[in-house]
Amino acid sequence: MMIESILFYVGAIIVAPFFSAVILKVKAFFGGKKGPPLLINYYTLIKLLKKGSVYSTSTTTIFKLGPIVSLCAVLTVLMFLPIAGVKPVFSFKGDIIFVLYLLGLGRFFTIAAAMDTASPFEGMGAAREANFPIICEASFMMILVLFYKMTGNFNLSSWFSDTQPMTLWQSAGSPLIFVVISLFIILLTENARVPVDDPATHLELTMIHEVMVLDHSGPDFAMIEFGAFMKLFFYATLIARLICPFNTGHLAVDVSVFAGAILMVYVAAGITESVMARYRMDRVSKFVMTSFALAFFATILTLEFIG
Amino acid sequence: MNLFYMSFLILFSGGILALVGQRNFALMKMLSVVSLATGCLSGLIASAQALWQEKVFQFSFTYLNHFELSYKIDSLSAFFLVVIFLISMIAVIYSYHYMDHSENALATSVHYFFFSLLIISMALVVTADNIITFMLSWEIMSLSSFFLVIFDYGKAENRKAGYLYFIFSHIGAMFIFAAFGVVYGYTSQFGFNGMAGLPDTVKMIVFVLAFIGFGSKAGVFPFHVWLPHAHPAAPSHISAVMSGVMIKTGIYGILRVYSLLDYHVSVLGMIVLVAGVISGILGVVYALGQHDLKRLLAYSSVENVGIILIGIGIGMIGVATGNPLMAILGFSGGLLHVLNHSIFKSLLFMGAGMVLHKTGTRAIDRLGGLLKRMRITGATFLIGSLAISGLPPFNGFVGEFFIYLGAFNGTLFGNTAFVAGVLAVVSLAVIGGLALACFTKVMGVVFQGEPRSRAAADKDETGNTMLFAMMILASFCIIIGVLPGIFIQMTLKGLSSVSMGYGRIPLEPFIQMTENITLAAVVFLMVLLVLLAMRTLAYRGKPVGRKGTWGCGFTQPTPKMQYTGSSYSASIVEFFRPVAPFQEHHPPVEGRFPEKTIYHSRIDDIAERHMTTIIVRPVMWMFDRLRWIQHGDIHLYIGYIFLAIVVLLFFV
Repeated sequence: MMIESILFYVGAIIVAPFFSAVILKVKAFFGGKKGPPLLINYYTLIKLLKKGSVYSTSTTTIFKLGPIVSLCAVLTVLMFLPIAGVKPVFSFKGDIIFVLYLLGLGRFFTIAAAMDTASPFEGMGAAREANFPIICEASFMMILVLFYKMTGNFNLSSWFSDTQPMTLWQSAGSPLIFVVISLFIILLTENARVPVDDPATHLELTMIHEVMVLDHSGPDFAMIEFGAFMKLFFYATLIARLICPFNTGHLAVDVSVFAGAILMVYVAAGITESVMARYRMDRVSKFVMTSFALAFFATILTLEFIG
Repeated sequence: MNLFYMSFLILFSGGILALVGQRNFALMKMLSVVSLATGCLSGLIASAQALWQEKVFQFSFTYLNHFELSYKIDSLSAFFLVVIFLISMIAVIYSYHYMDHSENALATSVHYFFFSLLIISMALVVTADNIITFMLSWEIMSLSSFFLVIFDYGKAENRKAGYLYFIFSHIGAMFIFAAFGVVYGYTSQFGFNGMAGLPDTVKMIVFVLAFIGFGSKAGVFPFHVWLPHAHPAAPSHISAVMSGVMIKTGIYGILRVYSLLDYHVSVLGMIVLVAGVISGILGVVYALGQHDLKRLLAYSSVENVGIILIGIGIGMIGVATGNPLMAILGFSGGLLHVLNHSIFKSLLFMGAGMVLHKTGTRAIDRLGGLLKRMRITGATFLIGSLAISGLPPFNGFVGEFFIYLGAFNGTLFGNTAFVAGVLAVVSLAVIGGLALACFTKVMGVVFQGEPRSRAAADKDETGNTMLFAMMILASFCIIIGVLPGIFIQMTLKGLSSVSMGYGRIPLEPFIQMTENITLAAVVFLMVLLVLLAMRTLAYRGKPVGRKGTWGCGFTQPTPKMQYTGSSYSASIVEFFRPVAPFQEHHPPVEGRFPEKTIYHSRIDDIAERHMTTIIVRPVMWMFDRLRWIQHGDIHLYIGYIFLAIVVLLFFV
């Protein structure tokens, strides 16, 4: 079992960049363009790894630690994630809290690396990066309360592996749709997608995440990009398991069902990105609050069923 | 037990030595630092032993033929003693190089005297076993810390902070007196033991009164107003002891009264929890809005006391709703956060002290780029910031993790526990996010980037004992974060003397949880090592250059263009505007070649603002009316005394 978990872990790391390219393809489709090849992210990573770096004279060691710690956080997080219903490498009671706080650690270092450059643009991005996820964390916690109340268990494995998502649907019912939407909003916010942030432009004043990494280059930048692909994969997996909770027991079938589901999540993100504009910065908080409200109502509604 | 006597003796003699030897500054400092540190060390060893063996020590003697002074060290006292002696010892070590103004010899020696009194009185507070002893120690503690706050009494601002502290600590003490007065009225004895036998409504009143009194010492919103004034005024190691340890005696008081009353209803837990939630969120919002480094840290203490109270509240509700797991998790998480906060908050205050010592300013927006020259200060401050933001694998995470587990556990049982659990979970998440924003601001603006003023440019760190103290504390942050097992055991042992109606608390399930944290932290560190190695490989033989920061095409950047602390926090504070009124002041920019302009922003503390209008003004008005009583005529004053005695005779 352990071998299988590790294989899936490694597999997830390998395929994560591929899925992110799907979003680009969808956006290109909406723009009437051909778009970059689906393997574009691998090419970018290899290109970056071949290069050297230029460091700002303002920076310190923290600037170099930033990409490493945030990548390390995401790599560790994936070890607790059940991929395609397979049990994760590690699991313990309350691991999800560790996971969320580990993502917080990654954020701390991304922000610290941005502040290290003394650039006003990066400071601006850092301030926004510190601001919006606050509410995301609260709504994620609200979702966890719901899951915990449904199952009485408190780890990712017991909610997302095997047929567990089906059990969640059976006990929670339709309010779980709210949870899916809420998680999708969290996905968009945490991964710097439209309508919270725009990953396509490098125009500093409109940006959050992209502007924070302006000064990184070469292998350091490759690590940041790689980390971002996997973070998106983490959230997408959670949603994919919820929208496609089936599990047949045949590994091949399960994996392809899961791949289809996760593809749907990425396509949905791509469509959102194509048909929406970015919100004005002061509207973003309200958008993120929506996810908290949805999660909250879902929990209140399910209280009825459990009694 | 002998070790305890010895430690008090050494501590007190250290204080006396400081007073006697002020002629020779270097010798006086050396002697008092050594004896205070030795005293703390022996106290630490003694209390750690007492905690580990769970032995109860008792001791009493009669004072003035009337009052019995009695002391008792049970495991809860021992836990707080460990915290008190540990942090005080490190603060004393730090002070050796911090107090280096020999022209200030008199003030320095007096400071060491009161410092020794403060340590002794804190230790006496947590061991006092009857009302008289407790209040006596409590007053000594308040007074000695008052004299430490006005150490730099030349500045009007510091004197004002001192007076504010003096008033608040006495109003707080009055509430505690009132609580104990009610107890005495029913039991007619000074001992604590009769408290469990009070009628329920009386217990409720006693708890609420005591909570207000102890809460004002602990810095619970809205009784925290003195804290952000007094803590920055004191020398930095004293701020460290006050913020790290002294306010925890308030927490001790709440726990002790709760334990003595032995009264388990959800209402009390809810009061504590809600107070914790409000202090936690507002504390960190106000911290985020501060421009003064030490004031920011002081507000962050309000936040952390909030987290501790959330833990205790969850614990109390757990007991009241018959849910032992929730209770133990909440209490032990709260207690562990007492230890954790004392460690990282004193670390941060010491780092701030180093910055203040070298640059001469506490204004965050005048600093910057200090990390390049102050490597140890910067690195330890970074560790402290990570720990206080509750991030793994540092110690702040462990306490919060336990409180989270307790709160989540509560959501499974009944309405009260559910509401409490959800409230605690959501507010802990919000507090965590805000704390992260707050401390990335401090790190980013004070230590990173480029210096924003001459004061911050080219400043080195010196003072070996200061660096040593910070390194010790930083290593504690990591040790507790990676290996929390033994420290959770400490809290569980400490809890064993809090009456919750349980027998022995089983250790295994909780040890299991700490092992999980250890496992996860080790996995994280392993991955980090692998990545570091891979990064080194990836950069082998690659060209690595150094150039100015990319200015997006702008070629003449200056350090003034950096994001400041105020701009960093503006959008977050804006979100909380109803509770944190945000004011800015700047003249409009006019003309084609605008002249130099100013910008000023601040956020108001609503507790402070309303206290002035609701309480202070009416009280001032009332006393203004009563001014005729004070006429300066000595005969009439004697008449007052006579009259008072006669009137009293009728009642007694």
